[in-house]
Amino acid sequence: MNRLKFSLVDFSVRHPKLVVSLTILLTLAFMTQFPRMRTDTNPKNMLPATSDVRVWNDEVDRTFALYEDMIVLGIAREGGVLNRETLGKVSRITDQLLAVKGVAARDVTSFPTITNVTSESGTLKVAPLMPEVPKTDRDIETLRTSLFENPLFVDRIISRDAKTTAIYVPLEKGANGKEVADRIREIVKKEKGDENYYIAGDPVARDTFGAEMFTLMAIFAPIAGMVMLVVRYLMFRDVFLSITLMMDAMISTIWSMGLLIGLGFPIHIMSSMAPVFLMAIATDSIHIFNEFYFRYRERKDKTAAIIETMHAVGRPVRYTALATAAGFAVLLFMSIVPVQVFGGLVAFGTVALRVLSFSFIPAMFTFVNDKNIERAAQGEDVSLSRSSQFLKRLAGVGAYRPRTTVVAGLMLAVVAIVGITQIVVNNNMVEWFKSGSDIRVADTEINKALGGTSIGYVVAVSKDEDFIKHPDTLRYLVSLQRHLETLPVVGKTFSVADYVKRINRVLHDDDPAFDVVPETKEAVGQYLFLFSMSAKPSDLNNVVDYPFSRANIWVQLKTWDARAMEGVVRAVDDYQRAHPIPLELKPAGIAYFNLVWNREVLWDMVRGFLMALVVVFVILVFNFRSFKWALVGYVPLLFTILLIYGVVGFSGKRFDMPISVLSCLSLGMAVDFSIHFIGRFKQKLGESAVRGARSSADLITESLLWTAARPGKGIVRNAVLFAASFAVMMFAPLTPYVTVGAFIVSMMMLSALMTMIYLPALIVLLQGWLFKEGLQWSRS
Amino acid sequence: MVAVMTKALPRAMAAGLLALLAVPGLARPAAAPPSADEMIARAHLAMFYPGEDMRARVTMRLVSRAGGERRRELTMTRRDLQDGGEQRYFIYFHRPPDVRDMTFLVWKYPGRDDDRWLYVPAIKLVRRIAASDRRSSFAGSDFSYEDISGREPEEDTHTLVREEKTGARDAYVVESVPKDPGSVDFGRKLSWIDKATWLPLKEEYYDRRGELARVFTAEEVKAVQGFWTVTKRLMKNVQTGHSTEAVLSDVRYNLKLAPDLFSERALRAPPAELTR
Repeated sequence: MNRLKFSLVDFSVRHPKLVVSLTILLTLAFMTQFPRMRTDTNPKNMLPATSDVRVWNDEVDRTFALYEDMIVLGIAREGGVLNRETLGKVSRITDQLLAVKGVAARDVTSFPTITNVTSESGTLKVAPLMPEVPKTDRDIETLRTSLFENPLFVDRIISRDAKTTAIYVPLEKGANGKEVADRIREIVKKEKGDENYYIAGDPVARDTFGAEMFTLMAIFAPIAGMVMLVVRYLMFRDVFLSITLMMDAMISTIWSMGLLIGLGFPIHIMSSMAPVFLMAIATDSIHIFNEFYFRYRERKDKTAAIIETMHAVGRPVRYTALATAAGFAVLLFMSIVPVQVFGGLVAFGTVALRVLSFSFIPAMFTFVNDKNIERAAQGEDVSLSRSSQFLKRLAGVGAYRPRTTVVAGLMLAVVAIVGITQIVVNNNMVEWFKSGSDIRVADTEINKALGGTSIGYVVAVSKDEDFIKHPDTLRYLVSLQRHLETLPVVGKTFSVADYVKRINRVLHDDDPAFDVVPETKEAVGQYLFLFSMSAKPSDLNNVVDYPFSRANIWVQLKTWDARAMEGVVRAVDDYQRAHPIPLELKPAGIAYFNLVWNREVLWDMVRGFLMALVVVFVILVFNFRSFKWALVGYVPLLFTILLIYGVVGFSGKRFDMPISVLSCLSLGMAVDFSIHFIGRFKQKLGESAVRGARSSADLITESLLWTAARPGKGIVRNAVLFAASFAVMMFAPLTPYVTVGAFIVSMMMLSALMTMIYLPALIVLLQGWLFKEGLQWSRS
Repeated sequence: MVAVMTKALPRAMAAGLLALLAVPGLARPAAAPPSADEMIARAHLAMFYPGEDMRARVTMRLVSRAGGERRRELTMTRRDLQDGGEQRYFIYFHRPPDVRDMTFLVWKYPGRDDDRWLYVPAIKLVRRIAASDRRSSFAGSDFSYEDISGREPEEDTHTLVREEKTGARDAYVVESVPKDPGSVDFGRKLSWIDKATWLPLKEEYYDRRGELARVFTAEEVKAVQGFWTVTKRLMKNVQTGHSTEAVLSDVRYNLKLAPDLFSERALRAPPAELTR
């Protein structure tokens, strides 16, 4: 394998033009696939259509004629919404909404469309609440009375303080939530006045996120690339080489994305992040550049320097690539398709990057102007360079005070573990937007005023037809609803029992004593029949199935937290355990889907992470041909991860999807520095030991300091470059990107620091154990 | 439900009908088609006013997108006070079992809201029911009240679009656009009116976005006592996938039904011939 790689380097140096042309041709070939690109931003597709939760949710949607997606338009006015002007707007807006493409017009719920059951001077009325805008103050008072006397309306379409109303806009299958939301924005923009409009709901958040995600990738990937370019230029003072490094990343991105598209996969949220990840991974080639400059200074012969460089760094570069690729490749064994695709994509890109490191990069080196290299190489003198001196001192901390360093580290680790135990697992898509953003504000405002924008269902399933019509069953539903409403996250519930109670009361001249479930099954059946004589078909269909063997309780949640629905599921189980009934109570709906989806993706990633930990360790063992050294090399990685998750735990930041994705990345990357450091250290030690006659302890210290100063510079450069480009993401408007940025910046800095301080300390402390066979160690 | 629709073909009847409705039509040469307004007016009479009174057993099957099925079985009687004018309906429900003995009375007036009463046997109570929305669903089916008792021809503007065959039948295709668009849930309607019987064989309702929403088809047409009657009707909501099939059996016309039948008293104690 070594032979093959080195001959690839030789070949590339000897035929640079051929290698570069071939690379470009191949890149163009992959680019031809780009026009076929398809995107899929729907998190629903994270789980296959055949997954239990999707099959069940589809069944529930079909049984109860429900819509997967619903937008909530909140209309708020400080002085209240029950006045002619505002009601006129509600009516006009509703009317226009019905004409919007993608809106399931027949089931839009709003003042003008919601079914009201009332009794007026002995006449039973089942009709839309507000067929026309009230003209007189008396009409408005009548409307106010109907609104507040009907528990089906309060907290749903009118807030208790009458300052907020809502229009619920269900979407047809396949409609784009962002497009509909944009149309709604246009419609409300035409209205003048002091009303505030809030547009919320899962489809808005999801599709807006999807759309912004691509914009962000289009903005941030190039910015990150530019930052890297500038930082590299500052490091190496050569535009051509800096661009070469960039091209390395770009070419591998094009190859991997081209392959993905060519294979017919759509681009998901996760795979859209691949270019940034690859750009980050590409920074590893900086070790080649770093060493090249040192070698060139020593040899003054470009070709020889290239070949020697590749000889020196080839092994660590290959193994770091292997570790990174393996870290991502384990994702191929996960159960969620987009996770697999993402893992495969990045693993392929990493391998591509390494192939380029051994062919394209050496080839490009031959084109560099000798004078430029010479000028830049001036700075690369270990004894003169200030940064090298600083790194030496840093390594000295560990090498000279190993015990203190290790104890301090252990204490930190204990604190971190305490932090990790505080980690809260949760995900909330709306919180992927920043707190001042339209979507967050809309969601917060509507949830403050009304029952909630997130909708879950609890489906009661019986084996017997007409079971739901039994008064006992209905009473059970009522008390279950009351129980659920004690949860702070539950803003409102309603079920078929609410309709039955309402009709009972209205039929008995609006006597509040009859606001209960009637005594007989016949009465229930007849009330519901009466209701269906005039109501919209969906009114009843949404809450009971055809044979009356299933009922659907709507649960409006005031937060999109996956944990909220978890609480509902638990409360239902608790209630049923305490009050048994021959009914199966099963959660469903978008809130439930989010819960399942999060749980699955999250734990899939955690499983992948644990697997990657093992695989990376095995790779380290192979790389160092030693279990002991692998263990030592593993420490900075574990330490970095412990510290970061400790901080996550203490800061109260939730362990969500983006964080779980990052854990895999951190593995593959944080171990790189160890591989470089230990690899080069042992190499140096082997060289010195052959020559020198000094005590082994001195030799070790000396070699450690040399490693910190020379390859260490590459490590720090790598970390800085990496951190600089990802720091850009901390300014993104979407929190997952901020998280990714912050996470990677701290991870890079920490793992570089750990490598520079902690590895020397450990090596000094454990030298007896590590060098049992003496120092005569050769690279083999 | 649905009431009645039929067609009167007996020649004497037809002559009377034509005279009533379409004086200018008669004056024209036989080949020239009547105006679109006349076509709709004739279809209205053929569908909703055949005979002086009628009775039928109606079985409705409500089928959801998921394939779930609800059944309604009822006996419906109708008495016309005037052709094209006031009508009374009395409906007795047989099924579903828990609504057995529920009865429903409708007094229909052209140009204003119906009067409706419902008897709820479980609480032995007759309640007057407000009828503000004629477009609302009848008993949870895909038929609206208007689909069952007819929509006033004057409420829409009618245009003859073309003539074509539907199935084996020659038909006029008439487009009807509501004069007051805010009052209804459809933006326009296309009717295929059978040239021979004047019955609407098919109707397409387009929503206000111009998208097809519901489709009515006359699945089976029979002559009963000389009146052409649509004995099997299908209304399909193409947007929700929900559909309702209504089958009329034991159709009888001109039974000389007593006016008493259409009273509040009959609601509590319907005559035996209806409850069987």
